[in-house]
Amino acid sequence: MMRRSRQFFVLPILAAALVLDGCNVARITLNTPITMNDVTFIEPGRTHLSDVIAKLGAPDSMTDSDNGVVVTYRFLDMRYSRVNLGWLAKPWSPVDPDLIFSRLGLGVDAFQVLCDSGFIVQHRSFLRHLAGPQFTPYPF
Amino acid sequence: MNVLRNLGLCLLLVASACAFNRGTLGDDIKPDIVNSIKKSSTTKAEVVALLGAPDRILQVNGRDVFQYYRYDAKAGSLLLIILNFSRLSVKSDDLFILINRDGIVEDVISSRRTEALEFRFWPFGD
Repeated sequence: MMRRSRQFFVLPILAAALVLDGCNVARITLNTPITMNDVTFIEPGRTHLSDVIAKLGAPDSMTDSDNGVVVTYRFLDMRYSRVNLGWLAKPWSPVDPDLIFSRLGLGVDAFQVLCDSGFIVQHRSFLRHLAGPQFTPYPF
Repeated sequence: MNVLRNLGLCLLLVASACAFNRGTLGDDIKPDIVNSIKKSSTTKAEVVALLGAPDRILQVNGRDVFQYYRYDAKAGSLLLIILNFSRLSVKSDDLFILINRDGIVEDVISSRRTEALEFRFWPFGD
């Protein structure tokens, strides 16, 4: 009876280990992602660049334009997940089989602010409108 | 007792290793040096003497902008036998010094994002 309960305890863990072995979940973030809520205070034609910098910090780059200056905040939220289903066959196979599903979501975005020569914000916009990549290894 | 021993063995097998990694690019931008740069009085030559040559020189509205930056990256990995978690966080310190046509500092824009940078392992959530 004792042996049966031990098997009952150990076997599911071993099975889970075999199924899940080879799984990787990784994430890389560059700077703090800026959301729409973070930039609602910016009113084109009224907000000064110094107010933007006071709230969001120094930008990553400043570039000259015909109408003034463009400041850019860049950020990245990369997510990667990988599962190796080949490990399921490992106990019964003479070779080391691999069946790998993996998926990478780069999540690159930037927030740009265009200011006139007096450093008053004229336009603001996100480079992309990403919903945010998910941890889903299924690539199809 | 056997159950506890088995559980302990399983945990020992599962929690195999963890790793801490760190990388930096550029020199630290010291806040006391940045604070010593005064608007309308510090000259371009004094800025260079204090901070060294800038990483980048930009032209904005006829003004020179000196940009200094530093990147800091911290990575934490939890290497389990059945599952690996990794997280790499990169943040930057940026300093922009606007210099007018007379070679005098007009504005100083700086932020230190790396102060809040931590080693993180859990890839989910914020």
